[in-house]
Amino acid sequence: MGEVAISIRGVSKIFRSGAARKTVEALKDINLDIYREEFLSIIGPSGCGKSTLLSIIAGLTEPSEGEIILKGGSNNSRRPNIGFVFQDPVLLPWKTVLENARFPLDIIGDRSKESLDNLAGLLEVAGLKGFESALPKELSGGMKQRVSIVRALSYNPEVLLMDEPFGALDALTRDKLNQVLLDIWNERKKTVVFITHGIDEAVFLSDRVVVMTPRPGKIHDVIEIGLPRPRTREVRESPDFLRYTKVLRDLLG
Amino acid sequence: MPSRAVQLEAQPPGPALNGNRRTLEGILTILLFILAIGGWKAYVVFKGVPEYLLPPPERVLDSLVELIVSGEVFKHLFVTLSEVIVGFVIGSIGGILAGYLLGRWRLVEEIFSPYILFAQTAPKIALIPLFVIWFGLGLTSKVVLIVSMTFFPVMVNTILGLRSIDTNVRNLLRILKATAWQRFISVELFASLPLIFAGLRLGMVQAVIGAIVAEWVSGKTGLGYLLVLGNMTYNSGLLIAAILLTTLLGIVTYMAVMAVENRVLYWHESKAKIGGQDV
Ligand SMILES: Nc1ncnc2c1ncn2[C@@H]1O[C@H](COP(=O)(O)OP(=O)(O)OP(=O)(O)O)[C@@H](O)[C@H]1O
Ligand SMILES: [Mg+2]
Repeated sequence: MGEVAISIRGVSKIFRSGAARKTVEALKDINLDIYREEFLSIIGPSGCGKSTLLSIIAGLTEPSEGEIILKGGSNNSRRPNIGFVFQDPVLLPWKTVLENARFPLDIIGDRSKESLDNLAGLLEVAGLKGFESALPKELSGGMKQRVSIVRALSYNPEVLLMDEPFGALDALTRDKLNQVLLDIWNERKKTVVFITHGIDEAVFLSDRVVVMTPRPGKIHDVIEIGLPRPRTREVRESPDFLRYTKVLRDLLG
Repeated sequence: MPSRAVQLEAQPPGPALNGNRRTLEGILTILLFILAIGGWKAYVVFKGVPEYLLPPPERVLDSLVELIVSGEVFKHLFVTLSEVIVGFVIGSIGGILAGYLLGRWRLVEEIFSPYILFAQTAPKIALIPLFVIWFGLGLTSKVVLIVSMTFFPVMVNTILGLRSIDTNVRNLLRILKATAWQRFISVELFASLPLIFAGLRLGMVQAVIGAIVAEWVSGKTGLGYLLVLGNMTYNSGLLIAAILLTTLLGIVTYMAVMAVENRVLYWHESKAKIGGQDV
């Protein structure tokens, strides 16, 4: 393993909500090093704090305790170095596919030919060529999610955080988008943190899979997936693949 | 394969079938109209209803024709329409601006909210006498009333529109380190439009009501004045004709807002897909 990209140190999160002063302990003492250019998945029961953890990594939520250290990266304050893909596509409905995908560049103020060419390339890899001027309402769910992935990659962030990006899609579309995601990852090597409920998906995509416990979320185990890359259909059908899914299924049991 | 046989049993209705259906619906609508008018006439004749209570339909038609031929109607329509347009434009621009100010700064909203609640729920019509004392019997007092009636629905909906922006859209903007100005100009402005238009539609209905009532109380011209005139002179034909004209004005102004909305919000889910059949 290479150098550490994200270091999660003793992170806990307690939500205080409502007038009843009820507290929810969402995360408890999470310690994890995520390596540069690693594909890491997080899997765990519903409500165990996965989204909360991702949101803390992204800096959208303050941890109650502990800290996140993002190593390296350009310290250009204008240029974000995190890309976030939400569970829903979160597209801006008045913008076309191209305008949505270009939105981060517009915000950053980057109109360089290099970035725009890169964007065109991403749209092509994602199978969105020819749909540049379509509106979100004219797209299928899978296409919308692809736009949101392209958008997250448009400014070439070093870290890509994905919160169940394919959760709402059917199995076929999901498999296809897994492949698209791996293609992009192979080509542009990013640190990916990927949250999912899908055991198959986690094994197929990841270098490591983090298994979390029910609330309060703790790290139950970290499984290294020693399957060869590139991950192909043969890999998916190999006995090793099945062994890994069984290990995870037992852990989640 | 057995599954093949089940295929394509139910075909979607083709365009021809759709067309036939439309024609039929049209015929039925017209038939219903004739029936209603016929029923009205029959009721008046057989029950011997006195004309000042309910005139026969042709009296109403006479009144309408007379209004149009003499050109009277255009004078009244013009006056009412100008009041509605001036009042609506001022009221809705004010409502949108105030909505943005209150929606963006919660503190401002919290400070103003009790007064807003008071002003919003106070029946504006009760203020007409005051407006007349302050602004006279002319155009100004009517416009002021219309502005006060348009302003609140537009403002409230603008605030709602700003508040309705998806949390994750806000998160995206935070991740991208967007400035307040960028957030406003690239997201908030557009995202609040659907609700703003809902407010504008309500505001337009209010504006027409406001104009009619204001003329009713203090007008020398306008559709509201026609209503009063018909009433005072026991000319029920004129009265009902004026009611019809008022309704027509309401429908036309409402449709005008809808037309603008359809152009501006073409991207919204509620609008038909581009190139789709039911545009
Ligand atoms: N803003 C909040 N205020 C109060 N409680 C919250 C908040 N966000 C999350 N929680 C609570 O924290 C716990 C973890 O939530 P989180 O969304 O991180 O779970 P998750 O693992 O992502 O679940 P899922 O797999 O269903 O998406 C839940 O019990 C939730 O109710
Ligand atoms: Mg979640």
